[in-house]
Amino acid sequence: MRSRYPSRGSSLEYYLWIFTRLSGVLMLLMAAFGMVYNNLVGGRLLMDVAAQFRWGFFPIYWHVQNTNVPDVYPNWSNSFWQVYALILLAVAAMHGFNGLRVVVEDYIHRPYLLLFAKGLVIVLFFFTLFAGSVIVFELFV
Amino acid sequence: MYQGRHVGFLEGLRYQGKTHMLAWVLHRITGLGILVLVGTHVIAAFFLNAIGDNLSTTITTVYESTPFQILVYFCVLYHALNGLRLIVEDFWPPLLRYHHQLLWFQWLVFVPVFGLPAFLMLMGYLSGAA
Repeated sequence: MRSRYPSRGSSLEYYLWIFTRLSGVLMLLMAAFGMVYNNLVGGRLLMDVAAQFRWGFFPIYWHVQNTNVPDVYPNWSNSFWQVYALILLAVAAMHGFNGLRVVVEDYIHRPYLLLFAKGLVIVLFFFTLFAGSVIVFELFV
Repeated sequence: MYQGRHVGFLEGLRYQGKTHMLAWVLHRITGLGILVLVGTHVIAAFFLNAIGDNLSTTITTVYESTPFQILVYFCVLYHALNGLRLIVEDFWPPLLRYHHQLLWFQWLVFVPVFGLPAFLMLMGYLSGAA
């Protein structure tokens, strides 16, 4: 006999629900740390508002290179910020593409179309991670 | 759960969820907006550096213009503040009693935190500095 109640869903769904909330807070904290840091090392006098936000969203030196920062060494351009930026990008991509999966499941109901759309989301996710790693670590051939 | 629905857009907006539902709609729209805008920006930056074609150059130029930056900032800030409110309400359900007050407080934070930087960016754009 079918239960009157909807199924409780997989535990993966539950962990992704938790992940969305935790990663949201984590991204805000990481952006805040980046902006506090760049202001402490002189960004307050060197960057305009847009550059401050660009650094907060994605703290990699070429994001602020064409602004008023005269020399991005040593505070802005080092491997700490490369790893930091890649972690931020990976967390943001997981958060964002998981959100896209939820939206896709809400609006697409044909089973095979849904399977195709979810496959496309996964491909886009991995391609974004790949593209992000290449531009952060400058691995162009 | 989906049971087959045929509801128009305007009819959907008149749904009784009111502010709660409008906040959810805007959360979804801004989330998709961030994903499309920032995702396109990352992939365009990749192709710009890898092969330097005209399409990714155009996309990057458009994305870096001030109006687009302000749009992205709107999406990110709304999504962040609404997400924070959701987290607070999810992990501390008694606060749902003050849902309307929290929504108003959210907009009270949003207006200056969005308005001031957007105004400064727009002034710089209009004076031709950036």
